[in-house]
Amino acid sequence: MKKTGFLYDDRYLLHDTGPYHPEAPDRLSVIYSGLERSGLLSKLVRLEGSMAEMKWIESVHDKAYIERFKSVCQSGHSSFECEDNQLCYQTYDIARLAVGGILEASRQVMEGALDNAFCAVRPPGHHAEFNRAMGFCYFNNIAVAARYIQSQWGIQRIGIMDFDVHHGNGTQNIFETDPSVFYYSVHEHPSFAFPGTGRAFEKGSAEGTGYTRNYPILPGQGDNEYQSVMNDDFIPLFDQFQPEVLLISAGFDAHSDDDMSGVNLSTEGFSYIMEKLVETANKHAGGRIVSILEGGYSLKRLPELVNNHIELLLKG
Amino acid sequence: MFVSRSMTQKVVTVNKDADILEAKELMEQYQIRHVPVVEADGLLIGMITDRDIRSALPSSFYKKDAEATKKAAAPSIQVKEIMSQNLTTLSPMDTIQDALLLIQKTMVGALPVVDKKDKLLGIISVRDLLRAFINVLGFGQPGTLLCILAEEKIGQLKKIVDIITEEKISFGSVLVARYWEEGKRAVFPYLLTNNVVNIKKKLKDAGYTLLDPMEWYMDQLPKTEFKDSK
Repeated sequence: MKKTGFLYDDRYLLHDTGPYHPEAPDRLSVIYSGLERSGLLSKLVRLEGSMAEMKWIESVHDKAYIERFKSVCQSGHSSFECEDNQLCYQTYDIARLAVGGILEASRQVMEGALDNAFCAVRPPGHHAEFNRAMGFCYFNNIAVAARYIQSQWGIQRIGIMDFDVHHGNGTQNIFETDPSVFYYSVHEHPSFAFPGTGRAFEKGSAEGTGYTRNYPILPGQGDNEYQSVMNDDFIPLFDQFQPEVLLISAGFDAHSDDDMSGVNLSTEGFSYIMEKLVETANKHAGGRIVSILEGGYSLKRLPELVNNHIELLLKG
Repeated sequence: MFVSRSMTQKVVTVNKDADILEAKELMEQYQIRHVPVVEADGLLIGMITDRDIRSALPSSFYKKDAEATKKAAAPSIQVKEIMSQNLTTLSPMDTIQDALLLIQKTMVGALPVVDKKDKLLGIISVRDLLRAFINVLGFGQPGTLLCILAEEKIGQLKKIVDIITEEKISFGSVLVARYWEEGKRAVFPYLLTNNVVNIKKKLKDAGYTLLDPMEWYMDQLPKTEFKDSK
């Protein structure tokens, strides 16, 4: 059994998105109690949130943007840049706590104290761009983790796999010219789903050309298409790229019971993807995986999906 | 929606006495395919396209000495010898719709925009129209497309708009299109949000059918309605 870290902090529940918002604190509560019920929690190495040093957040985001976000929270506004992005007084601090926890998990994985880790954080991150909040995201968690790992351990090739049903425009935006970070995203086709980017012809730019890969899934498609995405596209590309560490934007909203998308992935389909990801990490990255929660809004399905995800990390 | 707002104003032009190789170089440099030919006072007298030039030059199949061959074989073709005259033009007060229909009708790639005295003001190309169309559809901004089936009767769109407004969500665009079922319309609001769950629920409760986007193929529409009208 692997040494798997689990980042969770009650303070992540304090990011209040108001009534009727899908990105609600209950998402984390059901994940936590699901792990408790299954007995998995006791097998995990617990990690708590901590305030990220600003220099790491600034390695990804515009300082002026960070200041804007901070002042919007602290002046008591309930949204930032778009009605989608509901927040509260504490949101800025909690977003920093999320990043800090993820960096600690990354450190322990990189130094070998942990084999891999799952980070159950709020707010999510993959839509947040250099200077723009979007789709419930403020700080791009996974992007900060990638920059941190690059600069602290001199890693040359970081692989990011984003299976959230929405395209991670923020992560793509941050790394599109960077050949040292391969951003791979599989998501519902942008003509039918938020945010309207992530078309197959978006392949990165300048030196980063070929190091961004977008695989759109049509509404109604499911397990079969994802299987072929993994076997015929993702694995060959990552075998060629040979990531030294694998970061995962783990969104669980492609599930057929999740009403945030029209894609029909089954619970088993999610496990299939994760098995392939673990195999890929074992082959190239010495098993090093830092998986970070993005979306996933079905309170009924989240516990089983995260349980299975973590079981596969433990199995390694 | 006026042509003057969408046209290219800094137009690359050429003199009628210039060598066509000069026009060719301009096209390559600016990645364009249409160069208006103007007099010194800006009066439009013709248009030269990359196709006109390619037809006038020998084949560049033998790439190795292509340049030398071309220069030798086309020593002095002047723009005025091959340019199109009797042009179809637009006025700045013509609309984008006029430009779309006129480009479809004349089957050209770009139309010059002139004032009443034929002085060149700008050029509008298929590319400019594409940009305008992307802007109208709103999908340059992050959002989600809904597909709603509505009865073809007065007040349906208002109800849909009301439901969306109640949720405090902004519109990127709304398209209303023919549906292949008699008496029905397909409504496509492009909403600037990630969060359409509540809206979908409310629309269903109000009796609307949400279309499966994959069932929506233009080619399933009655073909006759889409025949060219010319």
